Amino acid sequence: MLNHIFKLIWKKKKSNFLMMLEIFVSFLILFAVWSLSVYTYRNYVTPAGLSTDRVWAVYLQFNTDSDSLRRINCDLVSQYLKGNRGIESFAFSSSNLPFGFSTMNNQFEYGGKSVMSDNLAVSADYPSVLGIQMLSGRWFTAADTVGSGKPVVITRRLAAELFGKEEPIGKRISTDRRVVGVVDYFRHKSSFQADENALFEPMNIWDNDLLVKVAPGTDAEFEAQLARSIQKLGKDWTVEIQHLDNMKSTQDKTILIPILILFGVCGFLVFNVGLGLFGVLFQNISRRRGEIGIRRAVGATKKQIMRYFISETLVIATFGVALGVFFAVQIPLLNVFDVEGSVYFWGIVLATLSIYGIAVLCAFYPSRQAAVIYPAVALHEE
Amino acid sequence: MIHLKNIEKVYRTDTVETLALNNITLQIEKGEFLSIMGPSGCGKSTLLNIMGLLDEPTKGQINLDTQEISDFSDKKLSRFRNQKIGFIFQSYHLINDLPVLDNVELPLLYRDVSSAERRRLAAEALEKVGLANRMKHYPSQLSGGQKQRVAIARAIVGQPEIILADEPTGNLDSAMGNEIMEILENLNRADRTTIVMVTHDENMARRTHRLVRLFDGSLVSSNTFVN
Repeated sequence: MLNHIFKLIWKKKKSNFLMMLEIFVSFLILFAVWSLSVYTYRNYVTPAGLSTDRVWAVYLQFNTDSDSLRRINCDLVSQYLKGNRGIESFAFSSSNLPFGFSTMNNQFEYGGKSVMSDNLAVSADYPSVLGIQMLSGRWFTAADTVGSGKPVVITRRLAAELFGKEEPIGKRISTDRRVVGVVDYFRHKSSFQADENALFEPMNIWDNDLLVKVAPGTDAEFEAQLARSIQKLGKDWTVEIQHLDNMKSTQDKTILIPILILFGVCGFLVFNVGLGLFGVLFQNISRRRGEIGIRRAVGATKKQIMRYFISETLVIATFGVALGVFFAVQIPLLNVFDVEGSVYFWGIVLATLSIYGIAVLCAFYPSRQAAVIYPAVALHEE
Repeated sequence: MIHLKNIEKVYRTDTVETLALNNITLQIEKGEFLSIMGPSGCGKSTLLNIMGLLDEPTKGQINLDTQEISDFSDKKLSRFRNQKIGFIFQSYHLINDLPVLDNVELPLLYRDVSSAERRRLAAEALEKVGLANRMKHYPSQLSGGQKQRVAIARAIVGQPEIILADEPTGNLDSAMGNEIMEILENLNRADRTTIVMVTHDENMARRTHRLVRLFDGSLVSSNTFVN
């Protein structure tokens, strides 16, 4: 039967080519959408490596250019926070707080290799505020800063890129930094951020933004009181508090909304392709009523007629999909984007299944209509 | 072989009810060559379609090969058509996108027959109708007579016991018509295939064993010929 279907498809190659082209384009659209979906989902389910629960970002502006005054002000704030029962822990950080809009990155070198990584300057309490777990080694302390080389903590991914399978602890990178610890993940930009490189080093004198972990049950009144109290510590200070949960949600929306819009547009395109396919199949079957009549007369059952037309559509779809797969596999082969090959693999699998699903869905009703045509009527019309 | 009892066929639309066949009772024996004549619109083709299980009667009973078929499922009816009946139509009903050989093997596609066996049987059927050298041609490359011979090959490829021919010579000139008639006569004689043929041509009808005449959906006469 397959041979029979191939012959008929080949004979009508002009009209089938258009249908195949439509399926090919739909496949590429679906491949892009599914690959993006798989990529985004994988990122989403990857551990973040940090917890935003009850963590607030406190943006402090001391309105001074003096580094010594800045240090005194930070000490003042530290003393106040240590005495506040509502605060479980706190840490100072460079302005690139998690889920903020500020980023900082640097090239780090080891053994002739140069790797780009996010660079965060933070105080020693940073892991306890964000619940960061060590994979190996330890976090740096104030005592580390007096030794030779700046102590740094890096993510597992950065360690792998710089050192391969070598033990990272104790290694020196970019001559002046010494690795004292490794953390597993640190996805601090959004829930959909890929696992990227990050390096933590001790804070500098000018790093005065703050992360605080508050006690359970703290409310908006406590937040207002905290802002007022810190503000009162100095003259002309500006204090702005934001919840890390909200900041994360804002970042997530910034990424998710364009993706959803893209999905909507692609969904609309694929829906139109489906409608087109449906129309073509419907017209095709209307034109082939005589053929349906003769097939029924020589012994085809209703089910066989239905299966025949669905199979024909699936064979045409297979040509479109095969062409699509050929182009789709070029993306991982040419390493167009820095994305794992398995993402494209699932993109191809899901796009293929979607195309077959759409093809069956579009072919089902016209094929059913073909199956219920009365043979005598079909032959008479012809 | 074919026994129609009190067959009635009514076509209904929202406003009109047309009686196409009225109380037809007809018995056709195995190996008989029967022709049906009558003016246009008298119900000849409808009767043939009912005999061929392509249409259902509104009333009455059909027995084919001793089996009462009114309770048959679609699957069983299709199998019956596939194995017992061959059809020949005035307008041939060939699939223009398929070569002659593929057109002929069409009934075998719906049987459990291997591809090689299908090819062999189809080639054999084409040989019987004298078209062995046209297997790879497309219907559009054939004359009317050749197309009808392909249709006959398709009708006989499954070795059916009954052939139903709806004006098989209607679109052909007399020479071609004669050729087709000879093939049918030969099939009837050699294989004892039961043939029912609708025709407008009195001369063709006289070459069959029996002629029944229809008028306004009713059977009006039956003449037996000695051929």
